[in-house]
Amino acid sequence: MKKMTKLLFTLGLATLFTYTINPASSFAIENSECLECHSDESLTKESTDNILKSDITVNLYVDEEKFNHSVHNINGITCVDCHSDIEELNYDDDLPHKEYLESVCCANCHEEEGEAFKNSVHMEILQKGITMTCYACHGYHYVMPMEAALLAERENNYCLKCHNPYQYHEWLPAQESHFAFVECIVCHAPEVSQQIHLNFVDLVTNKLYQSDEIIDILGINYNEFMPMIDANEDGKINQQEFDSLILMLRQKNVYARFHAELVAVLQPDAHQVKRGMAEKTCEKCHMADSPYFDAVFLLLTHEDGTVDHHEVERDVLESYNMSHFYLMTGTRVKLLDKIGFLLLAGGAFVVMAHFTVRILTIPVRRKRKEDKE
Amino acid sequence: MNHDNQIYVHPAPVRIWHWINAFGFIILIFTGFQIRYADILNLLPLQNAITVHNYVGFAVIFNYFLWLIYYIGSGKIRIYIPDLRTFVSKAIKQMKYYGYGYFKGDPNPHAMTPENKFNAPQQKAYLAIMLILLPAQMISGVFLWKIKGYQDYINILGGIKVIDTIHVLLFFIFTSFIFVHCYLATLGHTPTAHFKAMFTGFEDHHEEHDEEEILENPQLN
Ligand code: HEC
Ligand code: HEC
Ligand code: HEC
Ligand code: HEC
Ligand code: HEC
Ligand code: HEC
Ligand code: HEC
Ligand code: HEM
Repeated sequence: MKKMTKLLFTLGLATLFTYTINPASSFAIENSECLECHSDESLTKESTDNILKSDITVNLYVDEEKFNHSVHNINGITCVDCHSDIEELNYDDDLPHKEYLESVCCANCHEEEGEAFKNSVHMEILQKGITMTCYACHGYHYVMPMEAALLAERENNYCLKCHNPYQYHEWLPAQESHFAFVECIVCHAPEVSQQIHLNFVDLVTNKLYQSDEIIDILGINYNEFMPMIDANEDGKINQQEFDSLILMLRQKNVYARFHAELVAVLQPDAHQVKRGMAEKTCEKCHMADSPYFDAVFLLLTHEDGTVDHHEVERDVLESYNMSHFYLMTGTRVKLLDKIGFLLLAGGAFVVMAHFTVRILTIPVRRKRKEDKE
Repeated sequence: MNHDNQIYVHPAPVRIWHWINAFGFIILIFTGFQIRYADILNLLPLQNAITVHNYVGFAVIFNYFLWLIYYIGSGKIRIYIPDLRTFVSKAIKQMKYYGYGYFKGDPNPHAMTPENKFNAPQQKAYLAIMLILLPAQMISGVFLWKIKGYQDYINILGGIKVIDTIHVLLFFIFTSFIFVHCYLATLGHTPTAHFKAMFTGFEDHHEEHDEEEILENPQLN
């Protein structure tokens, strides 16, 4: 929230600044004006591809429906906030704006990300003549809120567009598991902090539940969730409270399990992908006290895209509620250790006891043999 | 060597299988312990422990099938199958011997022959281990090795943690078993008789030396 206010403040300042030098821009252009033409699916323009140097047809259609769901529209960013070189629409001409518009600079608003990105391997390739834009990863008109995005969505939408991870990680056992449970940048931008996200999954169909389904099933509002679950009111869901949540759902005929994944926190550091800096030490994660599993959250996403993070105690990862998530050493079930100790101690006891009696009874056997002879 | 007083109980394939298996188990137990307890044990980096564990795991699986083929092929699998009519009474007798009679110097109620190699509790334990526990250990191990590949089976069985629980509980059972197994092997005519037999194949048929003599005059051994 702090970040947003800061951003809006910067935005406000920027508008104020443009206002003082160019009073015309205060008559903000509505999205609907642009969309009068740009919602036409057949609107195209001929252009040349600047890599292949061949003629291409650029589609100038913008999907209004999808744009309205984008994080930018939700946050009140309009067409001309990005296409800021359009100051007015002049309907006297055929084309109400310049034929060639300047390319949009995302970093105008996202300064910190732009700064962090400068340090990354993807900026380094500029020296080879490859420019990587922000929207190579994020896209532009339809940037969706990322906070609650599943790991698979994050990877598919970003890294997997250009990289095939199976080429680079022969040294890593269980590659598929790692790529399915650890976001690429958790290893590749090690400065970024990370969290475990938990999502509800139907035990039978293996489908993820949407948050509103869970809220409906429980028959509550979003803001009643924590007061209902958090019996001891410490702001965290502990093992007992977790069990009672599962029980509550079961009483409503919902058999839920949980899907856990290790994802990066949304912060500018996420862009600092550097060469040769990736995390390679297995024991960083596969360790009982690994800091990678300190922050565990149950996510509930409101319809408007805002996300509630409900903190969960780390022990829950070690329970059978998380039966589909297991890291060797890291989240082992402690009860098994105790059972194991008893089994080993039992075996050792039988041996020691028998051996002791065996030594003590040597005279008995010797006497018996002498008697026989 | 003079084998007049000895009987041939362990054919060569069985001996080879046994020592590969024993060696494999020790490595699997050691690396398995390292994998599960990287925070307690630090003898081998986790990555190497996993690599070694997987290779040796597959060697043990391969070895298991050699055993199975040999025993089924030669029909010797019978020595593992208890005779249900006499099994219970024989087992009780044998347990009584280990827990009591042995200390008094009673003779072993079970006389070893190639066709009847195992005593009753041994038969039961080995049957369970070779036909149930070891296969379960192997299958759960293979599942853990390619979690994504066997995802469907793993999900049916209740998830990766359930598979791991099976693998770990069996690990403890095997480790405990190996303690007892090695100790029981010292209860032959002489403390090392059974061990030697697993190398040479021949088990003594008569009482050459008594255990007490050995304990007093180790050079006889
Ligand atoms: C009257 C119809 C009309 C309106 C209104 C309109 N445009 Fe366009 N726009 C076009 C046409 C036609 C082209 C293609 C021009 C060409 O062929 O070069 C175009 C091209 C563009 C391009 C591509 C420019 C380039 O450099 O390739 C952008 C970006 C754009 N419009 C944004 C907007 C925005 C933002 C608005 C609202 C502020 C808007 N347009 C309003 C008709 C319109
Ligand atoms: C978050 C910033 C942002 C917003 C908001 C935005 N655009 Fe764009 N738009 C871009 C970027 C970036 C490009 C790609 C420019 C390039 O390829 O050089 C682009 C390209 C375009 C194009 C060229 C065709 C294409 O898809 O590449 C059109 C037309 C266009 N925008 C219209 C609009 C309209 C209409 C709106 C409002 C409904 C809008 N834009 C809102 C960033 C934005
Ligand atoms: C190589 C792909 C890639 C490129 C290029 C890229 N990003 Fe990102 N961006 C990501 C990933 C991955 C995340 C983090 C997602 C997560 O935390 O899981 C992210 C997160 C973000 C976020 C939300 C997190 C925050 O800091 O609040 C913003 C905003 C953002 N990027 C803006 C930009 C801008 C601006 C640029 C261009 C300077 C850019 N991105 C270039 C991949 C990229
Ligand atoms: C006019 C200012 C502005 C421009 C230009 C702009 N954004 Fe944003 N962007 C915002 C605001 C405001 C938010 C919402 C607040 C936030 O999450 O930081 C946002 C959020 C985001 C997010 C975060 C999504 C999330 O879930 O937190 C990403 C990613 C992003 N923008 C990417 C881009 C990309 C890529 C471009 C360039 C094509 C771009 N933005 C251009 C203002 C802008
Ligand atoms: C638009 C395509 C594109 C996307 C998306 C992309 N990359 Fe890259 N990446 C590249 C290119 C091009 C290079 C430079 C390769 C080279 O230098 O040979 C590169 C280099 C790298 C390198 C260094 C590779 C090397 O050879 O040293 C890493 C690591 C990397 N990317 C990780 C990521 C991660 C993680 C993501 C997702 C957040 C991502 N990339 C998304 C295109 C992309
Ligand atoms: C467990 C941590 C981890 C995860 C998860 C991971 N990587 Fe890597 N990756 C590494 C390490 C370590 C290297 C070796 C090079 C290095 O040290 O940077 C590497 C190498 C690479 C390289 C080649 C870079 C080079 O310098 O040769 C690329 C490209 C890459 N990874 C992309 C990805 C993508 C895409 C994903 C997500 C699907 C991903 N990685 C997931 C740790 C990881
Ligand atoms: C960034 C944290 C991280 C790092 C670093 C990491 N792992 Fe993992 N590892 C995980 C996660 C998360 C899983 C997936 C758990 C699951 O499948 O439920 C996993 C799964 C595994 C598995 C599959 C078996 C299991 O326990 O589920 C093996 C084997 C494994 N890792 C070995 C390694 C080795 C070897 C290294 C070092 C080369 C390593 N890992 C580095 C996080 C990590
Ligand atoms: C037969 C004797 C075996 C023993 C005693 C044994 C023991 C162990 C132990 C103790 C662990 C650690 C479990 C944990 O961290 O929770 C382990 C893990 C593992 N074992 Fe075995 N294992 C055996 C056979 C096998 C076989 C045949 C395979 C097949 C390849 C195998 C594959 C694995 C794998 C991949 C892991 C790591 C995954 C994980 O811990 O979740 N094991 N084993």
